[in-house]
Amino acid sequence: MAGFAVPLRIAMKKTVLLFSSAACALALFSSPLLAQEARSGTFKTVQGGVSVGQGEARRPVQSGGAVAEADQVQTDATGSAVLLLRDGTTIAVGPNTKVDLTRFQFDSTTQQGNLAVRVLQGSIRMVTGLLGKTQPDNVKVTTPASTVSVRGTDFIVEVL
Amino acid sequence: MSMRLVALLALVALQACAPLSRVTLLPQEDGRATSVQVQTASGVVDVTQPYQTAALQRDGRLTAQQSSAEEVHAAYGPLLALPVPAAARFTLQFEPGSSVLTAESQSQLGGILAQARARAGGEMVVVGHTDRTGSPQANDTLSLQRAQAVRELLIKQGFAPELVEAVGRGEREPLVPTEANVSEPRNRRAEIIVR
Repeated sequence: MAGFAVPLRIAMKKTVLLFSSAACALALFSSPLLAQEARSGTFKTVQGGVSVGQGEARRPVQSGGAVAEADQVQTDATGSAVLLLRDGTTIAVGPNTKVDLTRFQFDSTTQQGNLAVRVLQGSIRMVTGLLGKTQPDNVKVTTPASTVSVRGTDFIVEVL
Repeated sequence: MSMRLVALLALVALQACAPLSRVTLLPQEDGRATSVQVQTASGVVDVTQPYQTAALQRDGRLTAQQSSAEEVHAAYGPLLALPVPAAARFTLQFEPGSSVLTAESQSQLGGILAQARARAGGEMVVVGHTDRTGSPQANDTLSLQRAQAVRELLIKQGFAPELVEAVGRGEREPLVPTEANVSEPRNRRAEIIVR
């Protein structure tokens, strides 16, 4: 028994050490990684009145600005925008449109994830990216009364 | 009946005819087959032809119809006029066993940065790759380190950090497929995607 006790204790110490260094590495790496992950996509061309945000917290949009999961993009009669998500999905947003990025999860190492977009009003054109290629079943566009499943790459969804 | 009332009735009638929503399939750039499936409480429609539409009518019916390029462009001109820019890709090589770019690859960075700056909201994704020596897990780490090293160089040149993403793809995307544990310099590389 006593013969086992010492190596076991050393092994445990090593495990604890390994754990704590893994935790340190995680803490070190997680903050910049999280900051990058929070950005689901980037605005490209932006014309006229375009805002983005959640609930009442809205901000005007500029080229290079970020869009995050759960954000709503809204355009007025003069507004339009092109949004590029991290997996390469492009969403062109027409005038008088309200569209939610309901869900966007994308692991850029494995190229796995989920994308859900909800069109509440107006029109969007979607050109799907890596998620549409690797996991088409995980890409959905919904309107108040329909669901679009994606097998192809380029289509328009309009809610009147 | 006054003209105004007629106009109003016509507008109401028109709105009653317009569907609640409409999905239109566009042709794929490379001409390959494409499709979307539209599902509502009343049914399912597969839209499989370019410029075919599925419309959810106000009475709940889901109807498919073949439209044309002309009609779709007339209906969605401003939307289709929005640019969907294609990504540009560049491949960089590393000095053997390191995260240091070769002199030749280093000299490409200026031109790549210029292209990224020329785009509206231009960004870069640096994707690191390894060969198949070492474990897949170790290669995930190494490929990310390579990508991060290049990302740092781009940021040092003044590019906005939030618009440069470093991605490690490990050994998943070899340029030259090999068996495990084969050293292949052409697979030890980083791509920069400008988009």
